[in-house]
Amino acid sequence: MTEQYVELHAASAFSFLEAASLPEALIERAAELDMPSMALMDRNGFYGSARFHTMARKANIRAHVGSEISAIDFGSKLTPAAWLPHQIQPEPARLPLLCASRAGYHNLCQMVTRFKLREQDKDAGAATFADLEEFSNGLICLTGGDEGPLAAALAYQEEAAGYRVVERLIAIFGHGNVYVELQRHQEREQEWRNQAAVRIAQSLQLPLLATNGVRYATSYDREVLDVFAAIRNHTDLDHAGRLLALNTGRHLRSAKEMNSIFSDLPQAVANTWELSERLEFELDDLGYEFPRYPVPDSESMDNFLSKRVDEGVVKRYGAKGNPDLLKKVKKQVERELDLIAKLGFAGYFLIVWDIVQFCKSNGILVQGRGSAANSVVCYALEITAIDPVGMDLLFERFLSESRGEWPDIDLDLPSGEKREQAIQYVYQRYGELGAAMTANVITYRGKSAAREVGKALGFDAETIGRLSSLVGHWEWRGPNDTMAHSFHHAGFDLKHPRIAKYLELSLRLQDLPRHLGQHSGGMVICQGQLNKVVPIERASMPGRTVVQWDKEDCSDLGLIKVDLLGLGMMAVMKDCLELIPRHYGKVEDLAQLPANDPLVYETLQRADTVGMFQVESRAQMASLPRNKPAKFYDIVVQVAIIRPGPIVGGNMNPYMRRRQGKEEVTYLHPSLKPVLERTLGVPLFQEQLLRIAMTVAGFTGAEAEELRRAVGMKRSMARMKELEAKLRKGMTERGLDAPTQDRIVQGISSFALYGFPESHAASFALIAYASAYFKVHYLAAFTCAMLNNQPMGFYMPAVLIKDAQRHGLRVRAIDARHSQWQCALEREQDGTLSFLSLRLGLLYVKGLRRQSALALVEARERDGPFASADDLALRVPCLNPRELKQLASVGALNSLGGVEHRRDALWQVEQAGRPAGPLLRQRDVASDVDVSESPLRQMTTEERLVADYSGTGVTVGRHPMAYRREELRRRSVLSARDLQSHRDGAYVRAAGCVIARQRPGTAKGFIFLSMEDETGIMNVIIGPELYERERVLITRGKFLLVEGKLQNQDTVVHVRADRVLRLPVSEAATRSHDFH
Amino acid sequence: MSEELYLCVFIKEFPAQALLRMRTELRSKPVAVLDGEAPFQQVCSLNKLARALGAAPGMSRAEMESFPAAMLLKRSIAEEQSARSALLECAGSFSPRIEQVSDDHAFLCVMDIAGTEKLFGSPMDVAVRVRQTFASIGISCSATVSANFHAAVCLAKGSTANKAPLIVLAGKERQALAPLPLSVLQLSIELAGTFAQWGVATLGNLAMLTERDLIARLGQEGKRLRLLARGEAPHLFQPIDPVRAMEEQIELDNPVEILDSLLFGVSMMLDQLLARARERILSLSVVIAELGLEAGGVHTRVVRPALPSNDKQLWLKLLHLDWVAHPPPAAVVAMKLKAETGLVGKVQLGLFTPQVPEAGRLDLTLARIHAVVGEERSGSVELKDSHAPDSFRMKDFSVVKPTIHEPIEPKFPAAVMRRLRPPEKISLTLRNRRPHLFYFRGVAYLAESSYGPWRTAGGWWTDGRWSLEAWDVVARAQERSFVERGLPARSGGLLCCCLTHDAVRNLWLLEALYD
Repeated sequence: MTEQYVELHAASAFSFLEAASLPEALIERAAELDMPSMALMDRNGFYGSARFHTMARKANIRAHVGSEISAIDFGSKLTPAAWLPHQIQPEPARLPLLCASRAGYHNLCQMVTRFKLREQDKDAGAATFADLEEFSNGLICLTGGDEGPLAAALAYQEEAAGYRVVERLIAIFGHGNVYVELQRHQEREQEWRNQAAVRIAQSLQLPLLATNGVRYATSYDREVLDVFAAIRNHTDLDHAGRLLALNTGRHLRSAKEMNSIFSDLPQAVANTWELSERLEFELDDLGYEFPRYPVPDSESMDNFLSKRVDEGVVKRYGAKGNPDLLKKVKKQVERELDLIAKLGFAGYFLIVWDIVQFCKSNGILVQGRGSAANSVVCYALEITAIDPVGMDLLFERFLSESRGEWPDIDLDLPSGEKREQAIQYVYQRYGELGAAMTANVITYRGKSAAREVGKALGFDAETIGRLSSLVGHWEWRGPNDTMAHSFHHAGFDLKHPRIAKYLELSLRLQDLPRHLGQHSGGMVICQGQLNKVVPIERASMPGRTVVQWDKEDCSDLGLIKVDLLGLGMMAVMKDCLELIPRHYGKVEDLAQLPANDPLVYETLQRADTVGMFQVESRAQMASLPRNKPAKFYDIVVQVAIIRPGPIVGGNMNPYMRRRQGKEEVTYLHPSLKPVLERTLGVPLFQEQLLRIAMTVAGFTGAEAEELRRAVGMKRSMARMKELEAKLRKGMTERGLDAPTQDRIVQGISSFALYGFPESHAASFALIAYASAYFKVHYLAAFTCAMLNNQPMGFYMPAVLIKDAQRHGLRVRAIDARHSQWQCALEREQDGTLSFLSLRLGLLYVKGLRRQSALALVEARERDGPFASADDLALRVPCLNPRELKQLASVGALNSLGGVEHRRDALWQVEQAGRPAGPLLRQRDVASDVDVSESPLRQMTTEERLVADYSGTGVTVGRHPMAYRREELRRRSVLSARDLQSHRDGAYVRAAGCVIARQRPGTAKGFIFLSMEDETGIMNVIIGPELYERERVLITRGKFLLVEGKLQNQDTVVHVRADRVLRLPVSEAATRSHDFH
Repeated sequence: MSEELYLCVFIKEFPAQALLRMRTELRSKPVAVLDGEAPFQQVCSLNKLARALGAAPGMSRAEMESFPAAMLLKRSIAEEQSARSALLECAGSFSPRIEQVSDDHAFLCVMDIAGTEKLFGSPMDVAVRVRQTFASIGISCSATVSANFHAAVCLAKGSTANKAPLIVLAGKERQALAPLPLSVLQLSIELAGTFAQWGVATLGNLAMLTERDLIARLGQEGKRLRLLARGEAPHLFQPIDPVRAMEEQIELDNPVEILDSLLFGVSMMLDQLLARARERILSLSVVIAELGLEAGGVHTRVVRPALPSNDKQLWLKLLHLDWVAHPPPAAVVAMKLKAETGLVGKVQLGLFTPQVPEAGRLDLTLARIHAVVGEERSGSVELKDSHAPDSFRMKDFSVVKPTIHEPIEPKFPAAVMRRLRPPEKISLTLRNRRPHLFYFRGVAYLAESSYGPWRTAGGWWTDGRWSLEAWDVVARAQERSFVERGLPARSGGLLCCCLTHDAVRNLWLLEALYD
């Protein structure tokens, strides 16, 4: 007999801290062991099953599905005997259940959902007998290993108790569906239980089943499991004791090994093969169906959709009065609707349309992004705001017949309450069991792995802090950026065995799942009950539920999702639309903004774009003066060009040169002129890639899309080769010579991965244009909205304020007499001139609780302004002394009666805020009429700056650099404005406050610093060598002086630093935004 | 002249200075002292030369190793203690009243020098002499004199070692304290933050605030700090006990080998020690006996009963039993008894409470057991929480209230076994990876059946890694001559035993015999 064995009881790291290998690693090992099939049973769900299934399919292994279910009524799982010391927390026994059929899978999903949703706590839940009985159909039950109910019954009661447990299982699942499980990890007590289990199986005539209760792929991984055990039990390895594994026996074993271990019970191994044959169900047979949209009886969904689209076309294109365009649109609509009907996607479009309708009727800004903007149907349904026909966008990028996958529509909503409102609408519409968020698997990353391993090894908190802070997070990984190098740099000896083990374990923990979070906006919706397709559980956020798979898993298994994404800039737009009518007396409509506002383009050309959506980054600012956008399409290009695809593909500079007329516009092949004409012969968008393949090699739209995806997927090398051969064949047939073919192939492969679809760029460009329009025309409203929706964008609030001030906005300090919780606009009178100023809100006072701030505002609005600091403390009792001091320190009490300056206020609140009963406090205030003058001296300018930055993170006073300008000028240090007027190649000295640091993956180790002074922002380039020399200063320094050559080309100015020095300007705790 | 006069001595970088005191050759080199467990040692103290190199407190060993010139020393609490004793002894020669206010990294003591003028001269003379005396034992310090205790402390903390002693006349404290930073007051983080916000940076700034204002804002702590800043804070001097060495020493005329003769001398020394302890209403808690040996060296024994006692007979008996268990390896030429004191033991007896054995008797019994079996082999057994084999430790006997457990115990088949302590090494040959033939106590055994292996492995993150494989074996004794000649086995007695293979040490052991 050939040796055959199928492991039917394995858990992956998705049993969160109870197993140590990823599903992929288990499959990889199973393939090495020539295992024909394998079952994964994670704890209380199918968390790892999706990727287990996907990986198994690739490895040509059958993936069985099951789960270890906590069963409360079977008592607790095996724990040390009560008379032994060092007891552990009891947990319910766990029943291993395998899905024999689709019905069984549906039942198990429903069972898990049932007991998960029964609990309020995210991780809690266990099945009862009633649950097991209700959902037993189609399931195969194993009696379990050490965690199972049989082991516990045998260990603590008589053999008869074990007998009764198995009889109970037979009663629930049926005689033919119960297997007596035997695991042999070379433990004495386990073997004693095994002998009892064999006797029970014989007397009840049940089959035996050998498993290894796998918790990790190879025996070496037992160390990771031990670390996990320590983490799970909040202890360290030295104190984990018997919580750790007894030995290293729970790895995947070969058939030969299992046959040898079970040589006395060969049938137990043979049964694994037989049971595997019985398990018909695999995850590609989910039975998932996307919800149908309820339409009137007389209509089909296709028909209903067609009518809505027709109405939309009239609305969108009717007013344009362009019959040619309308004709083209109708033709495209017909084509799209035919395909949608053929693929049966009408319901999906109607559901997204329904969500958009809900948003519009509830005043929620919504706009589709991504490839959906390639569809005229989406445009007509008002899902997207880009006219794909007018812009000649390629529909195939969105949907194609042969791709066999669902379309993907992402909706951008204002982040915050409004987005939550839309999400709750979906829940309400499809029911708690019909819709849920997709999961987001939180994995151990550099820092978290380093911290947890440090704890497990028993390092003290300070050491853990030091060690984990060394884990770099820059995007670029240079040759010296290894963890080992960082450790050495920070003074840790890698030769010490404990440090070496620490480093090794930290690396091994990388990418292992830690817990399940919820995705920012992906929602899965199902026609029947979603809880039959995948278990649903509670998210930590109240009112939210989440499925057990992340969006890739959902996509791999064909579950369709709608992304309801929160976009900070949408919230800013919404706030602007509310502020503008209130304070400027004008009404603006996003859809009706003037199309070609000259001021907007002029500002963009100057790269004066701080705060503007997608065009504010350092790299964007550096390219804007060269691109000189003059029409909307130029913004579309601008949004797409600063992406790794065009940069790595070497397309950015040729485009810019051609744009400036410095280089002739040429095409890879004359036939590509129509495809690349709009982008001056340089491919910038994914759609162009598709069109190139269609034009030069005769690919169909679907084939071209497949080519794009194949380039993007690292693992589809074989398919990529086939497609490349086909591409070359097509090009040869069309007479393209070999060098041209090479250039085209290279062009395609270089930017396919990271390029933007043109439609997506266009959607973002719309928002970019709107943000620019609001900023140049309604600076106060725009800045106010930006400050109220932090964190977002590229710059810290301090930079936004300084930028707004440079543009003439008057920003008022936080004031207990005037400030609201949020920043607000105030109309001021200066002589005859009336203008708007921005009042900073109390939300910028660090450490001030929202409820205290709201109580302050309410007290002020109800009973009038505060007379003094004492009055404030008395009338707003929930303000604690710390909050009062913070308000005084940032100058928010300066305008109150009797307060001369900040220290005066501090002096007063220190007394007012002392703990005393309300009765006594009133007496104090009444009697304390002769408040003597504060003996404290006024804060110096520097002290005020420090207090501003440490208390609010911003200052409305002068920029810290301004105070040193005279001295800097004497030292020949130039300001940001001065740099503009210096010639290219000059050796300069410049200084500023670092506001952003970037080390992009595409920049080969170069670091870009953005530094700000009172005149503007300057850019500094740091080479890798200088970085190595001055690592600490460059990554931590707040105010820097740099020396180096000035690059001043096309009004784009950079200092290429040769030297960096610390500049002692201020002790103020300024913060920079560091990108990783 | 004021009635009160205090001299404060402040020694910075005490861990470094304590080590360099005995290592004069290193004083001219940069030296840093590392504290903590490897591999996380950090600089806790350093000398001026090391600071000049760029070293700073908190640096790790690896960081310090980047300064090749710097000498790295390990912190020694013992040497610090002996330095401290020496310093206090020196200080004691100037004043009997000394208060110590040291912290972890600095030595600070205040001497009450009121009335010492006739003995040592002016306050300046005393301060100079104290510094000279300290310097003579290798320690540099700063010294200040003030009529106010706290002013003297603050001024000492704020001054540097190489400056001349500072003498502040009564009434001039406030003026002298004014420029000092608030850090000399050892404020809480919160208070330090408050003063920073107020812009109060020096004691002078603080002293200017009114008492009423400070009490209104900071409560009584505000008042205290203000008084400190003005040099007006009162202080109740708490002198340390004079350094009393509870020691007695005897030089013997002739080397003595007989324990009973030694006990005669011990008896007299104990009388002295007990009398001194009784005088202070204390009892002896520990007696350390150091026996100077004829062959050189010292035989040291420590006797520590469960309760402190002044019962001479008990001490004699305990010492006797200890010496019986651990006799000196050679004839004794000198004896030194050092004692530590504890509070007098008290037992409150109730009218109806049953009589319990006297604590002294229990100690005697325990001492007798220790003498017979060894100290680490008596006490009560405590299981360690570990899968590691034989993981238990001995702890002192203690009376534990019995807890009532549910009578649920595992229903394992009960077999009686006798464990061999320590396990005996055996030589063994395997067949088909199972034990086959082994020799135990000179007899060859052929395994008839074996069960296993039962595996345990762990401790992989430490030096104590273990990996064991256990076999339960039924074996039959063989006649050696048959085995050696490879003849078919002739049966002898059966042996049921547990064999283990220690994979880390590659050893086969016989762990237990089954009855």
